[in-house]
Amino acid sequence: MATIRHVFEAGDAEFPSTNGPAPILNQGTNFPVGGLAFDATTQETCFFKFPAITYGSGNVTVTVDWYADTASANGITFGASLACITPNTDTQDIETKAFATENTASDTHLGTTGQRLHTFDITVTNLDSITTGDDVWLRLRRAPADAGDTMTGDAIVTRVVVSYSDT
Amino acid sequence: MAALVDADRVDVSANFQRDPANINVGAAALTKAQLKAAVDAVDDWAEANAAAFNTAIPQPQRGAMSTRQKTFLLAYVIFKRAGIL
Repeated sequence: MATIRHVFEAGDAEFPSTNGPAPILNQGTNFPVGGLAFDATTQETCFFKFPAITYGSGNVTVTVDWYADTASANGITFGASLACITPNTDTQDIETKAFATENTASDTHLGTTGQRLHTFDITVTNLDSITTGDDVWLRLRRAPADAGDTMTGDAIVTRVVVSYSDT
Repeated sequence: MAALVDADRVDVSANFQRDPANINVGAAALTKAQLKAAVDAVDDWAEANAAAFNTAIPQPQRGAMSTRQKTFLLAYVIFKRAGIL
């Protein structure tokens, strides 16, 4: 039994024609910090694509690494949803494929340092019948209207990791 | 000038958060709801005190200046007082 992980950096994201997060590269003191800046008031969305190599069973975990652009307190909420297509089996039009119901999770800024790095998991239970070998699209978006999303300013996502069991 | 409608106040709150200058203003620990309440209060104050501000400007300047010019005058004075300009 092993955990399969797909690691996505900011540059791996795909964007809709409107309301995508802004790709940013902040010049830090010693190295540049890249990320996707999700607005606090307008819902912004991006997508990641991966093959469900050796998917076994169980939920899919979406781990989001993020930091606050300007805030030093309060919470954020993000949602993740999957769209899975089994090549040669599903007759679904790939360009009109819909996402399964979104799962959300919240995280809270831990304070002390405004731009400290945080991480939290979104447990995706709506799996869209994912099976090994599927082509999978992951939709990630901030939920600015959610009651748990109280933090002002951008939430900058630096990395997204998708993980699941191979058994 | 009339008080802002709620959609415009929401827009002010959003722009305040997007403006990199807010690092210096210090909204870091506020929730979005608290920031929006502050926007509401400031707009209410501006509405209640607009006439008093206008009459504070001596004549003939008051009659000679446009609303836009008076708005910039107020903003520049407050920015200077706060050390922003």
